Amino acid sequence: MNSKTLTIIAFTVVCLVQLYVPLQMVRFQNTIIETGKEYKFRTAPIDPNDPFRGKYITLGFEDNTFRFQDTTTRWNYQEEVHVQLENDEEGFATIVDVTKEPPTKEVPYVRAMLGGATTFDGYTTLTINYPFNRYYMEETKAPDAEKAYAQSQWDSTQVAYALVSIKDGNAVLKDVLINDVPIKEWVGE
Amino acid sequence: MESKKVIKDLQELIEAKVISEETAEKIQAFYASKQKPKSNKLFLVLAILGALLIGLGIILIIAHNWDELTQATKTIIAFVPLLIGQFLAGYALFKKEDSSAWREASSAFLFCAVGASISLISQIYNIPGDVDTYLRTWMLLCFPLIYLMRSSITSLMYLAGITYYACEKGYWTFPVAEPYLYWLMLLLALPHYYLLIKNKPHSNFTIFHHWMVPLSLVICLGTIADKNAELLFVGYISLFGLLHLVGSLPFFADQKTRNNGYRIIGTLGTIILLLVLSFDWFWKDLAREEVGVVNIEGGISLLLILAAFALLYQKWQRETTAGIGPLDLVFLLFPVVFFIGMNDSITATILVNVTLLAIGLITIKRGADLDHLGVLNFGLLTITALAACRFFDTNISFVIRGMLFVLVGIGFFAANFWMLKRRKEDE
Repeated sequence: MNSKTLTIIAFTVVCLVQLYVPLQMVRFQNTIIETGKEYKFRTAPIDPNDPFRGKYITLGFEDNTFRFQDTTTRWNYQEEVHVQLENDEEGFATIVDVTKEPPTKEVPYVRAMLGGATTFDGYTTLTINYPFNRYYMEETKAPDAEKAYAQSQWDSTQVAYALVSIKDGNAVLKDVLINDVPIKEWVGE
Repeated sequence: MESKKVIKDLQELIEAKVISEETAEKIQAFYASKQKPKSNKLFLVLAILGALLIGLGIILIIAHNWDELTQATKTIIAFVPLLIGQFLAGYALFKKEDSSAWREASSAFLFCAVGASISLISQIYNIPGDVDTYLRTWMLLCFPLIYLMRSSITSLMYLAGITYYACEKGYWTFPVAEPYLYWLMLLLALPHYYLLIKNKPHSNFTIFHHWMVPLSLVICLGTIADKNAELLFVGYISLFGLLHLVGSLPFFADQKTRNNGYRIIGTLGTIILLLVLSFDWFWKDLAREEVGVVNIEGGISLLLILAAFALLYQKWQRETTAGIGPLDLVFLLFPVVFFIGMNDSITATILVNVTLLAIGLITIKRGADLDHLGVLNFGLLTITALAACRFFDTNISFVIRGMLFVLVGIGFFAANFWMLKRRKEDE
């Protein structure tokens, strides 16, 4: 094989790999969206010191702590945890259990980072940082969306939530809605 | 400019019979051949700049995140710059192989396009992702372009990218983790650097690499810090010593000083680090702490010392004792000072100050011997900096500090005056 043929082969392989990686990302996300189970996560006001950064809004979540009776297990900040979920009466996601290892039985769960662990009076409270805390928007709409989002957190008549698809521990943030209206339309009105 | 003036005068010189017509033609041909690569160089720079600007512009336009477009459309568009980049690179590789402007510009564009596609997909699907994971993927997808396209701009951008990756993972993300992969990724770029040194020792790209590689090393050495971070001061002094010795290799002898990143970074690094360590606070802290020696920081420091020692030995064989400067030896002395400092902070502080003073004085003497005002004043500056640092030491009396400053000031005048006078006498 001469060097020209080798270069052609090498170049083709490099191009294919360069295409494969983003394509695989798309495929992976689409599988979760199409075959995963949808959950609604009630959002919470975000820290006002965490300003609007660029063209996405930062989300906080209301149900992001889990309290249980045990102080023997050692939990490390930022370690990966597996959060088992189920829907409450109102149809919003709520935490059932948090484990270090992935659950062995077929239960819906999402991989997340541990935001903190406190022990008090024989109980441990874990704070969960969900991986879906950024929602990208058109740059001109993002500042208004941020305002609408912030307002919905203080106005008790408005319910804001994130619609997330979950499969095998992976999550994709599909949409952010205020009173069941997608935030993109809410801002456009 | 100079050549234009000479060519203009040629006719006059022929008429005055200073040169023959044949010589005039030869002169013209000489300047013509000299000018050619210059215009190529300008074209190369403009092509790379243009490619980078267009690449970045497209990324920004797509990053607007057009809401009118569906997710599927946006996804397809995210691949467009990548496909264009690959097409241009392919065209450059197979049709314009001899044009470095084509190869460099298309590679620069493709490099940006790969990063853009990944980040746009992340944006379209709201994948938060860590910056270090993103950078790692991007750099690994692009490093083959360095060799396939023989592209030095890709090599430089790759070096900048992996340095950013190491900083992101090793310094800026909590909890920090040692980005060992950085060292492997650095190794991947070195063969190209070696080929540049071998084939184009004076090209601008080679010179940029002489700066980029040592800078990246200096920035990233700190990422290996674990529980015995103080030990890395030994590592850093050794690294600066090593860089200084690399900059003294015969290869750099015919290079301009400003092109010798190794020597400049090695010299300044050593002096600045010693100035920081000339304060007693570091040594007081060190004496209080338990610092282990058998660990990753110790191992890397030892490796750096051994590497620097090998180069020092070579230099000594090449130039004998006369060629060895004080900065070549600091890395051998410093570990001893460090170990003394683990128990005795006062002795260590004094030793560092004496070392700096000695470096300053020896450099001044070398400057005088070589009749080199630059070297002479560098020595004086070292002593001035040392004096300035002592200015901040509150436990030295004002009178002593004042006298120190007056003495250094007189030294500046006297040394420069003496040297200039000597030059005049020689003339």
